[in-house]
Amino acid sequence: MTTTTTTILRTTSLHKHYRLGDQDLHVLRGVDLAVEAGEWVAILGASGSGKSTLLHLLGGLDRPDAGQVRFNGDNIFSLGGSRIDQYRNRYVGFVFQFYHLLPELTALENVLISAMMGRSVFGWPGVRKSVRQRAVQLLTQMGLGERLRHRPNKLSGGERQRVAIARALINEPRVLLADEPTGNLDADTGRQILALLADLHKAGQTIVMVTHDQRIADYADRCLTLERGKLVG
Amino acid sequence: MYKVLLISKYLRRKLAPLFAAVAVTICTAMVIIVISVMGGFLQTMRDAARRGTGDITIEAGWTGFPHYAELAQTLEQLPEVHAATPVIVGAGMVKLGDHVQVAPVVLGVDPADLNKVLPFQSTLYWGEENMSLPQVRQRAMQWQLPWDDPADADGSQASEANGNGKTTPPRGIMPGIEVYPKRRDKGGQYASWQSLIGARMNLTVVPVTQAGGMLEPETRELVVVNEIKSGLYDVDKSHIFVPFDLLQEMMGMGADEVIDPETGEPVGGRHEPRASRILVRAAPGVDLETAHEAVRKATARFAANHPDMTGLYTYTWEDQHRDLLNAVRNEKGLITVLFTIISVVAVVMVATIFYMIVLEKTRDIGVLRAIGASRMGIANIFLGYGLVIGLLGAILGTALGVTFVYNLNELQDLLDAWFGWRMWSAETYYFDEIPEHVDYAEAALIAFGAVVSSLAGALIPAALAAQLDPVESLRYE
Repeated sequence: MTTTTTTILRTTSLHKHYRLGDQDLHVLRGVDLAVEAGEWVAILGASGSGKSTLLHLLGGLDRPDAGQVRFNGDNIFSLGGSRIDQYRNRYVGFVFQFYHLLPELTALENVLISAMMGRSVFGWPGVRKSVRQRAVQLLTQMGLGERLRHRPNKLSGGERQRVAIARALINEPRVLLADEPTGNLDADTGRQILALLADLHKAGQTIVMVTHDQRIADYADRCLTLERGKLVG
Repeated sequence: MYKVLLISKYLRRKLAPLFAAVAVTICTAMVIIVISVMGGFLQTMRDAARRGTGDITIEAGWTGFPHYAELAQTLEQLPEVHAATPVIVGAGMVKLGDHVQVAPVVLGVDPADLNKVLPFQSTLYWGEENMSLPQVRQRAMQWQLPWDDPADADGSQASEANGNGKTTPPRGIMPGIEVYPKRRDKGGQYASWQSLIGARMNLTVVPVTQAGGMLEPETRELVVVNEIKSGLYDVDKSHIFVPFDLLQEMMGMGADEVIDPETGEPVGGRHEPRASRILVRAAPGVDLETAHEAVRKATARFAANHPDMTGLYTYTWEDQHRDLLNAVRNEKGLITVLFTIISVVAVVMVATIFYMIVLEKTRDIGVLRAIGASRMGIANIFLGYGLVIGLLGAILGTALGVTFVYNLNELQDLLDAWFGWRMWSAETYYFDEIPEHVDYAEAALIAFGAVVSSLAGALIPAALAAQLDPVESLRYE
């Protein structure tokens, strides 16, 4: 039996500079990365090494100074403005270290809002029921079935991160981009979140995760290290 | 759809938008109140001016013109004219007891005729509703006192024989109710015991010859049969109405014998009696300018056939009061502009509040961008937010402003009752009540302006929000 793999995400010679006062910080110095569909890749790096920057570039949230990010073969930065927004909404899902939930919304609404994007007031009622069902199912699956109407300030750190993961998954993205997903959690809760990611991965979810912690990176299929602006390992 | 959700959430959970909506509400109400009071002021002034002078006036200067009855009849034949009545205009003094008062405008009128041109009878203040006397107004319209015997055509008080044994026409007088001021209670009403009906009043006028010379002053004792309250303070303060032929005689404008100025002896023949003006009311539905043109042409034709009628000119009530009305109109415009400028404060306030919301929501904006919101989508959240606040402020402001305008006089009475303070002084302004008039088209325009202003206030913060770098926003603490 032969297994065929597809490169879902590929970067070529990615460069990114930041200006810090008069200083020019060359954070990424030609990053080449290929992520296969269904793969869990961990990118390990010290604080300030540029791993979050790389993740933002992969998710189309930031633009490189040079180089390309290709999703399914298409350079995402050659897409028009609305299509790159669509890329972020449909094809990738972000999970942040600090959860970044919207405080005014309930857990359920925080998950639903991602599905509401790209749908007009008139288009929404047609899909509302099925999307809501999926959101409830996702949250229940993550042990938050009783917390649907709670606002983020009424949830624990672990619960917030699970809501953030549910939000990232609601549109069934091809790639989950996780930025230090356990960085703000205690060890036990961190392990629970990693177990959740492992389950998702087992179900076929492609994950790119950045972390500074080797033990967390060990959960991934493959671990790369970002050193002096380049990926090694 | 997410924009609707976020706007509704932001509106419910934040105090700041409430402040913004209150600012828009107050500014909308303020401009509506100012524009309505000024507009009502102008409208009331227009109505009162028209009520006081009729639609069109024909005049030939202080010495008057002859053949007035014939001319009035001719004018009444015109399809554009409803009625025409001659009046005598003089100036003089009135004396009531020891109180002497200048009477700048003494009008000699036939009340019944005048009532066809102006709503004269309705301006007689004393009526059955505020006096326990029957038919006060009807009697006054015939220069009679309420207690006169109606069968006595001359009226008992008014029919006195003068020195030469000739019976004068009924001699009643109707002064404006403010000619003798300070009689009003705090609510602006006049107590019936303060009525001047039955009081004796001396009227002195200075007759003028046709050549423009002044003769010896003429004085008559008259009896007050009613008082005039037109609602226009200026008129009520200055106008005195007396019988047409009485004033005509006193002013030397009657059919007197022709006197040789050299010898002072009659030379035979009589002067043609004269009137000062003819007041004309346009026929219903006839445009003022059309009626004016018809009256002007008919008067010119009539004058062409009467060589002794020179210097006649015609003008409309708008011409007569143009300066005053234009002044008020300009004042209204100026005040509206000033208050609109003040209302820019609302725009600045909305902009400031929204800017603060954008700052507060910077990280959320980053999150929204990360999960797929476009720049335009972010801008639209804040624009939609501004629109909702503008709509809310406009609706509440319009309701508040309109309610305030329609209850201004009641509010004034309350303030008077509580603090003894009246914001509207009839002595200062022209009317005894604050005009309660709302032009709904103007109010709608103001409300629309409020929505646009709110949107304008939200525009810069919305643009800033849209321009935020999502990566920087996510790092924002």
